[in-house]
Amino acid sequence: MLHIRPPFPAVRKTRRDFLKVGGLAFSGINLARLLASERGSSERSCIVIFQHGGASQLDTFDPKPEAVADIRGSFKAIPTAIPGVRFSELLPRSARALDKFAVVRSMHSDEAIHERARQYVFSGTKPRNELLQPSYGSVLAKERGPKDGLPPYVAIPQSDLAFEAGFLGPTYDPFISGDPNTEDFSVKDLTLPGGMGLEEARSRAGLLRALDSEFKRVEQSPLIDSIDEFYQKAFDLISSPAAKRAFDIGSEPVKLRDAYGRTAVGQGALLARRLVEAGVRLATVFHGGYDTHVRNEPQNKQIVPEFDQAFTALLEDLEQRGMLSTTLVLVIGDFGRTPKINFSGGRDHWPAAFSVALAGAGIRGGIVVGTTDSKAAHPIERPVTIEDLGASVYRALGVDYRKNYHANGRPVAINKEGEPVSELWS
Amino acid sequence: MEPSKIVLAGPGQSQGLLVTAVDADGNEADVTDRVEVTSSDEDVVEVDAIARRLTARRPGVADVRVHLGALYAEDSVEVREAASEMSVSFSPDIVSILTLKGCNGSSCHGSPVGQAGFKLSLFGYDVAADHRMIVAEGDGRRVDLVRPERSLLLRKPTFAIAHGGGRLMDSLSEEYESILTWLRQGASFDTRGVQLERLELYPAERVLAGTGTRQRLVAVGRLSDGSSRDMTREVRYFAENDAIAEVSSQGLLSASGPGLTTVMARAMGKVATSQVGVVERLAGPRFRTPEVRSFIDEAVYSKLRQMKVAPSGPSSDREFARRVYLDAIGLLPTPAEVRDFVGDPRPDKRSRLIDTLLERPEHASHWTVKFEDWFRNSQLHSQGRSMGVFKDWVRGWLAEDRPYDEFVRVLLTSTGDTILNPEANFWHPATDFMLKEFSVTKVTPTVSRLFLGVRMECAECHNHPLENFTQDDFYGLAAFFARLRVKHGYGEYRRTWYLEEEGELEHPVTKSEVAPKFLGGGTPAVSDAVDRRTVLADWITSPENPYFARATVNRIWHQYFGRGIVEPFDDLRSTNRPSNPQLLDGLAEFFTRSGFRLRPLHRLILNSRTYQLSSQTDRPGPLDHPLFARYMPRKLQAEVLLDAIGQVTASLHEFDGYPKGTLAKDIYVPDGPDHFLVTFGLPRRDILKDRVPVPTLGQALNLMNGEAVREKVEAESNVLGQLLGQGLSDEQVTARIYERAYARPPTRADLGRVAAFVASERAAGRDRRRAFENVLWAVLNSQEFQLNH
Repeated sequence: MLHIRPPFPAVRKTRRDFLKVGGLAFSGINLARLLASERGSSERSCIVIFQHGGASQLDTFDPKPEAVADIRGSFKAIPTAIPGVRFSELLPRSARALDKFAVVRSMHSDEAIHERARQYVFSGTKPRNELLQPSYGSVLAKERGPKDGLPPYVAIPQSDLAFEAGFLGPTYDPFISGDPNTEDFSVKDLTLPGGMGLEEARSRAGLLRALDSEFKRVEQSPLIDSIDEFYQKAFDLISSPAAKRAFDIGSEPVKLRDAYGRTAVGQGALLARRLVEAGVRLATVFHGGYDTHVRNEPQNKQIVPEFDQAFTALLEDLEQRGMLSTTLVLVIGDFGRTPKINFSGGRDHWPAAFSVALAGAGIRGGIVVGTTDSKAAHPIERPVTIEDLGASVYRALGVDYRKNYHANGRPVAINKEGEPVSELWS
Repeated sequence: MEPSKIVLAGPGQSQGLLVTAVDADGNEADVTDRVEVTSSDEDVVEVDAIARRLTARRPGVADVRVHLGALYAEDSVEVREAASEMSVSFSPDIVSILTLKGCNGSSCHGSPVGQAGFKLSLFGYDVAADHRMIVAEGDGRRVDLVRPERSLLLRKPTFAIAHGGGRLMDSLSEEYESILTWLRQGASFDTRGVQLERLELYPAERVLAGTGTRQRLVAVGRLSDGSSRDMTREVRYFAENDAIAEVSSQGLLSASGPGLTTVMARAMGKVATSQVGVVERLAGPRFRTPEVRSFIDEAVYSKLRQMKVAPSGPSSDREFARRVYLDAIGLLPTPAEVRDFVGDPRPDKRSRLIDTLLERPEHASHWTVKFEDWFRNSQLHSQGRSMGVFKDWVRGWLAEDRPYDEFVRVLLTSTGDTILNPEANFWHPATDFMLKEFSVTKVTPTVSRLFLGVRMECAECHNHPLENFTQDDFYGLAAFFARLRVKHGYGEYRRTWYLEEEGELEHPVTKSEVAPKFLGGGTPAVSDAVDRRTVLADWITSPENPYFARATVNRIWHQYFGRGIVEPFDDLRSTNRPSNPQLLDGLAEFFTRSGFRLRPLHRLILNSRTYQLSSQTDRPGPLDHPLFARYMPRKLQAEVLLDAIGQVTASLHEFDGYPKGTLAKDIYVPDGPDHFLVTFGLPRRDILKDRVPVPTLGQALNLMNGEAVREKVEAESNVLGQLLGQGLSDEQVTARIYERAYARPPTRADLGRVAAFVASERAAGRDRRRAFENVLWAVLNSQEFQLNH
């Protein structure tokens, strides 16, 4: 008798399928059904306000007025729309608008290096040595594709390595807008040379097409087809009135532009709203200056109010246009900052506790998830991981985040371990 | 008839057959269902005439013959005394069941904290711990050796009692039976009895013509007692690319779309592969035998003939000139260079041109950029001067064509200040660039990929699922770097690399000291007196090392053809087969014989007819690229494209802080790279990542509207400024532009097309200069210009 047995069942299933089913079996949730229940979720889009450098939780959403001076800092805490919840006095508008958004105060990670921390928070997956996880925007660009000739994923005004598509490849990197807070804002590489009208652009493109079709008579390859496709898309973008209009921030009423604030983050947020309205899937708004190793107080005094104005104007604008229910607004930074103010009057990197804000796309407003200790140094209630944040973002956007991509010869889940923060919905 | 050398272990054992017919053109077809099978002694080997299956009846030898019309094939089949009993061993049998069922996957018991108190190593990288966990821990409650069927190990996955992972097997299943047998045999860790030594999969290679075409696979196990065993239904099949071929659990292969792929069969920790090409139709008698210049062409043509793919014809002199300039020195030939070459009557003019180009300094500069990508020479790792120091050092080495083995040895054993010792910049990527600490887990996969063509990243955390490399192999290799350390200076971001006199690497799982171990090989004696990295460097660069030469030639080949003979080019494992093994072996042998010098290799490749084939074909097919049936059009590398735009417009790109006329490939990129170069794929070099060969929207927009092209087209004294001022006719201006960009004069039709365009531009009120700026724009955006072809 032989005791050798086939080690594999007679059902053909790839390992990828298997891992997916295995993961779901344990999470106890039928993800596909859950996501399908989110009505209209495939049309959802996202605006990410990126607090570059990592905002101080103590000087924004998680003040500790009872702490000693070199922890609480010099800013006061003020009441918010939710009784008992206080924000820093630098966020008066956000404090009044808290009914529109949710704050998670108990975010925590162990990545204290900017680059790695950003990759983490922009993908919801811990960075690995040799495999870069795609950012939220890249995943959305891949899953949903472009709409109305617009690039699906736009970085305003600039990109960051954390925004990139990683192993999905540069096709899904963000399109870079340039700074909308300048007098003569025009999108790099999208604008025709000065003095050239659409007629001339079409004319020379006609010659180009003729040259290419001659070449293609004798040369064939998938590469050539793919260049054709991108040139077609580029032409669409350049000549599309919709795209031109979407980027034309100058057509917004002066009053509204002022309401957002004439700052990088203000005009960035307004442009992001225009783009999302026109069909962009995800737009990032870069807000620099939070890496306050020195001069924490004067620096925050300048930038946090800029954020406060832009963020609340964006929420109100989205709400008035009926877009808030389909647009996720996400406020994230690299990490938090040290509770104790250092000898240079600054706060250093602190990943062990920090705050993020979420609004729209079905996220419940007026709640605060998690609590930190008396120094805002560690979560003491309902700690939330970056993986959980990632799963929450994908759930809000209706993306099947347990789905696997294939990279470096292995299956890689969009988000492998996170569980959505259920309080954000219930 | 396959398999050959059938040795059935005893009466009752049986073996299926695979019979292939080959026609006069070399086309192969599965005719197993059409042959008649006979046995010379039905008492020894009985034939099932319908299933074409051989069954052993009593010990002895019989000749088995298969007939198809007048054709026949035969082989003798041995039947032995009795079926050997193959015992079930913990590893790999039980472990492979745990793996295939997902039990030790990362989302179940293989997660770092286990699941519900039961923790297994991920994919079974630590079988001893897994055995302990199953048999001993939890007070041994998981197994019941007295009543094996009551063991938790069986009751949980069959859901006889609640199991968080659900019902994973049936009590009637083969897996259940295997586990039960193992428990009955005492649940021991030791392996006893007959072992599976090797797995074979037939046919080893096959071309299928047309979607839906089917082919049966036969898997044969060779056991340690010398017998063979039909394992066709006992292996797990895995098609690398379902879009090309699918395989059923019964081993029936079917073509789903054109391409070249590998099908794997796995059982008991052993793997066998079959290479499958799918074409729409066979080339048949159209195959011409082109000229053969070297073993490269012999290998390529013999594979093409076998796979029924017809090669393209030879490239024209102009096509060749443009291509070889771009590939060898990263520049377009000037119109004068093209003229001289085309007019040269000597029959060996192509070889002469190749020799000239390989001696030019731009050849070293062009290839230096590729080495910078590979070695990740980046300001992220080495700010300030040391990046330039390293670049110059690499270029110097390439310019002199000093042996590559020595180059690698110098890099791997380097220490010292990174400004004074340029080679020590090699270690930068091995540091976490913000933490600035040396990390053996970063350097180990880098060294293994660069010089051995082996991807070890998986093995850092778990045993490689597709290869026989384990976590122990990973840390064994890492142990060679256990004593390397770095000190940081101030100011210029200088670093100094040095060696500690003692210290060993700690294994992350066993926590014991790890001894240095060659990949898949021996454990060398390393005394404290020697730099153990020299021992590793000697092993890597030894002519006997099976990986080094193959990995290097495949990497170089990839640069010329846009595809490795093994693809991905730095993933040489037994389950990732070369598309042409003879070619890879030949190149590796040549490289070793030429003393690991790169220039003879460049020369050999460029002189091959294969490299010089035309990119044009009237029958494009999915196997053209993997089998090198033609030169595939490729995007120009970012630096080459920017320099080429400068050449055509006679207005070279200007880089801040560099003298006018500096080529893109010669800048050091210390302070934030150029927008154009980044858009066209200059990598950040923070991780090991190849330049992506696909186009992007950003690239199209940049060439159409970006500053780089715009400035050069509009520059007052550019090529148009020169030509239009000379009193040339429109046709003459057009011809000059074509010669610069395409290395060819315009055809009559081209001239007509441009003339019509210029006329319409003039009619629209634009002046002659502006009209030709638009012609120049169209040429720079055209595919004929953007691609090397």
